[in-house]
Amino acid sequence: MHTLRILKAFFQNNVQQELAYRADTLVNILISLFWLGWELIGLSIIFSNTQTIGGWNIGEVIALLGVFRLINTFMQMVVWPNTEKFNRGIREGSLDYTFLQPANSQFLVSFSRIVIWNAWNIALGVVLIVIGLFAIGSTPSPVNVVTFLVLIFSGGVIIYSLWIILISLTFWFTKFDNSVTIMQALMDTGRFPATVYPVWLRVIVTFVVPVAVATTVPLQALRGDLPWWQVGLALVVGLAVFVLAALVWKAGVKRYSGASA
Amino acid sequence: MLAIYKRFWQVNWAEQWQYRANLIMYLAFWLVSPVVYLAVWTSIANAQGSVNGLTANDFAAYYLTLLPVSIITSSITIHILAYKIQEGTISNELMQPVHPVLTNTLVNNVAFKALQLIVFVPVWLVLLALFRPTLTITPQSVLWALPALAMGFLINFLMDSTITLIAFWTTRVWAIEQFNNAVGQLLNGAFVPLAIMPAWVQGLAQFLPYQLGLSFPLLLLLNKLPVEQIALNYTLQAVWGIVLFAVFNFVWRRAVKQYSAVGA
Repeated sequence: MHTLRILKAFFQNNVQQELAYRADTLVNILISLFWLGWELIGLSIIFSNTQTIGGWNIGEVIALLGVFRLINTFMQMVVWPNTEKFNRGIREGSLDYTFLQPANSQFLVSFSRIVIWNAWNIALGVVLIVIGLFAIGSTPSPVNVVTFLVLIFSGGVIIYSLWIILISLTFWFTKFDNSVTIMQALMDTGRFPATVYPVWLRVIVTFVVPVAVATTVPLQALRGDLPWWQVGLALVVGLAVFVLAALVWKAGVKRYSGASA
Repeated sequence: MLAIYKRFWQVNWAEQWQYRANLIMYLAFWLVSPVVYLAVWTSIANAQGSVNGLTANDFAAYYLTLLPVSIITSSITIHILAYKIQEGTISNELMQPVHPVLTNTLVNNVAFKALQLIVFVPVWLVLLALFRPTLTITPQSVLWALPALAMGFLINFLMDSTITLIAFWTTRVWAIEQFNNAVGQLLNGAFVPLAIMPAWVQGLAQFLPYQLGLSFPLLLLLNKLPVEQIALNYTLQAVWGIVLFAVFNFVWRRAVKQYSAVGA
């Protein structure tokens, strides 16, 4: 309850910041619509030359684009702004105040900045998923839909946990603040099914920066491609990485001494 | 004049060298898309033998040659100039008796590229070993492509710089840049080889400046262009070079005339 109240306060605070720059919000929304159009033109060029890519039809790839947009929006909405704030906090010592507050410091560092206009991109992602589902042609079974949704969530948790681990490493290696940028760069591989990638790249996007686990894998569940043990594995890994991230964060905080001290 | 450029080179090289750790970051951002498109198109070409006559090897050769070409011809002016205009620090450079964009900014672009190319070579060798394309680059094609690469860079530089100058009037210059960039990526061959585009897009792309800064030097390097195409594109590069320079000059004069620094 306490956590929810803090989240609500963060949310209101960020809405107010956003309302101060209404014209920017409008421009951002227009740009995101424009890029969506660009992506769809790209897909139509690809699919005018082929029926499937990596065995996936256009409906499945559109739905994948929707899932990708959800995950990428999480990066833009939460991960990116809070990383900037965190790096500044480490550099300037303002992180001290975060640790003084009577709440879980990992939570405070993760969610104090939320770029609200991105809620629009979440809606677009959902719309793309729905359009994709219709375009696939066959109706997926309810079990597959539920697995799909659960795996998107657990994929998001895995990406989140990786991020927490990366920023925690800054406590040991101060020059590590570029790692999140590289993570963001690799996100772009999530636009296409990982099955089209050569093995070495598939290994990177599955195990090193698990973008595919958050994008391709849920879609595979929706298609009914995923055996049960792999669904279970994805969920177990999600939980394990989340716990690991919390431990790494705690160990990192112990090392923190403050730039001002 | 040469001495001035030499001095600017020393300063800018030292400045870029200082930020060399960030280069890995830029490289990652810029590398992922071409590699993704390469993977997508080779997988399609492998599945059906070829796409519009292009085989999997053609796609691999295309995108892996695209990487160094795009380092050489791309422009980073907006990243080094826009904030100077917005924060007013451009004032110092305006006091100097040389054109700030055509000296300092231009040389900074080249220094950035030179360093990026050095960092990129090992990455490139790894990618070549992973995809093993048969490259159709010959010493002659490199010689033919050198002027096209230089002109391609100038065209991109002038276009990017002109857009950056809009920062003298509005803070929304980044939105305009993104728009131009997105259109450019579709029409310059960065997304797919233009040969795969619908005929009307190819016709449009041919006469717009975007492809002159990427697709043309790239295909020239790969020995894919007949003589009359080479002649046409070189002519277009000359024409667009002159036009863009005139537009740049015009916008620059207007910009400086109405400029009053922030905080002045």
